[in-house]
Parts: sequence; C-alpha cells; structure tokens
Amino acid sequence: MGKRFFAVFFALLLGAPLFAQTPLRVAAAADLEPVLPPILAQFEKQTGMRVEATYQASAVLTTQILNSAPFDLFLSADLSFPQRLIDAGVADAEGSPAPIPYAKGTLVLWERRDSPLPPPSLALLSDAALKRLAIANPERAPYGRAAVAALTTLKLYDTLKPRLVTAENIAQAAQFVDSGNAEAGLISLTSALTPRLAASGRYFVMPHDLYPPIEQGAVLVKVSSQHAAARRLLDFLLSAPVQAQLARSGLTPVK
Amino acid sequence: MDWQAFALTLRLATVTTAILLAIAVPLAALLVLGRARWLPALEALATLPLVLPPTVLGFFLLVLLGPRTAVGRGIAALLGHPLAFSFDGLVVGSVLYSLPFAVQPLVAGFAAVPSSLTDAARLLGAGPARMVTSLLVPLARRSLVTAAVLSFLHTVGEFGVVLMLGGDIPGSTRTLSILLYNQVENFDYAAAERTAAILLAMCVVALVAVYSTSQQRGGNRG
Repeated sequence: MGKRFFAVFFALLLGAPLFAQTPLRVAAAADLEPVLPPILAQFEKQTGMRVEATYQASAVLTTQILNSAPFDLFLSADLSFPQRLIDAGVADAEGSPAPIPYAKGTLVLWERRDSPLPPPSLALLSDAALKRLAIANPERAPYGRAAVAALTTLKLYDTLKPRLVTAENIAQAAQFVDSGNAEAGLISLTSALTPRLAASGRYFVMPHDLYPPIEQGAVLVKVSSQHAAARRLLDFLLSAPVQAQLARSGLTPVK
Repeated sequence: MDWQAFALTLRLATVTTAILLAIAVPLAALLVLGRARWLPALEALATLPLVLPPTVLGFFLLVLLGPRTAVGRGIAALLGHPLAFSFDGLVVGSVLYSLPFAVQPLVAGFAAVPSSLTDAARLLGAGPARMVTSLLVPLARRSLVTAAVLSFLHTVGEFGVVLMLGGDIPGSTRTLSILLYNQVENFDYAAAERTAAILLAMCVVALVAVYSTSQQRGGNRG
C-alpha cells in the first residue's frame, strides 16, 4: 500500500511538467526589470501564452545562452552581446546578420533627495564633495560603459577614477546610492523612474552627445522550440502602442 | 596575474582569522563552560551567518553600516571614512560571515575536554581565563588549528559579501574571488583558469602544511 502510494506519487511528480504548457522564456537585461512585467502581462492576456522572464546583466545572460540555457528570446541592453550570440551561431535575428534594435537607453545622474550635496547636474560631477560615484561595471553592463564614456568626454574620468565604486549592474549602482554609501550614481532612466527611486531621489539626464547611444537589441535563441511564439513577442514589443509605453518608462522607442 | 588581488586576499584572510580567533576562543569557552540559560540563544546567534545567503548578509551590512544609520555614522566618525567600499568594511563582513566556522570547531573541541579535568581545575581555584589558557586551548589544539584553517579558507573563498560591500576597487576591495568572477564574466577564460589554479594551489599548499604539522603533533602525543 505504502509502496504503491509512493510509486504513484513519484510518477505524478515526474509526469507533471509534461502536462503543463511550456512557457515562453525571456532572458532580459537588468534595466528592463522595471519596464517589462506589465508589457509581458498584456502579451499573455492577448495571446493566452505564458511568459517567464529572467532579469540579469546582459553579459551573464550571454554566457548562459552560450552554454545552452533554455531561453527563447534574449533582450539585451546593448548590441554587442546579442551580436556575440549570432556570431557563435546560437542565435539569429530573423535572417538579419545583426541584432534587432527594440529601444534605446538613457543615462542619468541620480542622487538622494536628502543629500547635502547640490542637486544632480554636470557641475556635481566636478564637485570635490562628491567622494563616491557609483557606476555599473563598464566591462559588462552597457550603462557602465556609457557612464565611463560620458566621464571621458567630460575629461573627468581620470580625476574621478579613484572615487568610482563599481556595481554589478545598474540596480546595484542605484542601491549603493540609495543606501547612502555613495553620494551619486550614473544609472538608467528606467531605474530612476521606478516609484521606489523616484520617491527617494532625483535625477539629471546626461546629455546624449556625451556617450555613444545605448542601443538595445534582441535575438531569437536557436535551440528554442518556440520560435514562432518568440517572434510574436518581439513583434509585440516593436508595435506602436508598446513602443509608446517604453517611452513612458524611460526608454527611447526605435520606431 | 594580478598580484595586488592576491596580496589583498591574503591580508584580508590573515586579519580576519586573527580577529576571529580572538573572538571565538572566549566565546566558545563561554558556551562550553557557562551555565546561563541564555547561552543556547547566543550559540544560535553565532551560527546564524550560515543561514543567510552571503549577498543578503552583504546587503544588510551595506545598509546597516551606511551613513544613513546611527551605527554607520558613528563608525564613519571613528575611522574618518564610511565602512562600505573599504578594506576595513570587508574585514567586518568577513568576521561576521566566517564566525560559525571559527566557533563551531572550538565548541566541539572544548566540549571534548573531560569534565573531570575542568571540575578539578575549578576546585583548585582556576578562574575562567586560566581554564582557557592552561586547559582548554592546549588540550583542544587541533580544534584551534581547524578553526583557523576554516576561517582562513572561508575568507579566501568569500564572494557574495565582498560583491555587495566592496565596490570592486583595485588594491582595497578587489579580492581574488571578485577578480575571478570578473574574468569569467568578461569571457577571459584563460585568465580565469590561471587565477583559479593559483587560488587552488595556494589552498592545497596551506592545507597540506597545516595538516602535516598537526598530524605530527598527534603522532608525538600517542
């Protein structure tokens, strides 16, 4: 009796995933975490499909996909990481040799509202009272790369270098500033616009001519068994109403 | 090879181990010899860092020791700089993170000292300090070695706390484990393999050295 019960129990346990519909798996850059969930919910409602998103630094997701992580669609925060996947032959962009751009990112200088320093502006960056400036890792986070480019254009990089604290991604860079450990940080507009950070801080939009555009690109993962569904989600992202929604969340539409 | 990260990791592990032993020996002695009702609660508290994921512990420390709390402001006034993103901050984080690895072997070692010996010492008028230095520590020498080795290695391999609390500053918070992670994340697998090989070789050499000396001691005793 007991034995049979366990046999049935384990059979059900093993068999359960077979009956459930496999969700569409999206690997999404960390800066999309505040933006994507409502968009994915709309998509699920319209199509009846189930979508699961994983948010990580673009470099981390790239390594995972290179090592055959079970994702269907990759939304990177730049073009170089998805390009790497195309070159390695594990992803494609609907026949195009380059990733499909879906949005552009904006870099902002963010500071807590209760900071004793002057409000965020370019002048704040050359203020001697700025002891710690948080940025995302320039080697793997596109916003970190943009931050270093902007500081270099401003000829402030060498002066500020000893005062830079490097975070894993923009979310952690924001955390360093929000917890008061760094006086200011260069983060994404998508993070600065989240209710949590909008309540505790204020931001200054870094002029776009200071850094190369943060173009964000998408690719379809080749091992995916749900190519059509992944393409449908990508088309949905590129549709006019969703692009308008991206604009409200701090990304610049590409269409 | 980044010798700066190598030297920094050795310094962090050495300082952390020294501080941990200074804390853990009296703490373990109190836990074994003490009779107070609240001691189990204290032991539980000293074991708690095992439960928390290191990144979570690092995040709590970042917030708790930041300039937005009274504790953080006090420390900053004392040191002249905030604790986060500094070597001192990593030492605080490492001591908390590795505390169970120093305390647990010592508690086990001290508890294995026969109670007839501790009772005799007590009857002859030995105070708690004397009991620890003349009785517990000499008899539980192997546990002391184990505690030191575990604390040291656990600090060398520490990653999550440093990631959250460090800010990746070369020479002050970029440890070998962070360097290794950076190399892997930047697709520089050849450099990562070299760093990992050095890290492993260093630990094997240290472990063999420690275990061969403590083995000899065991042999002499028997």
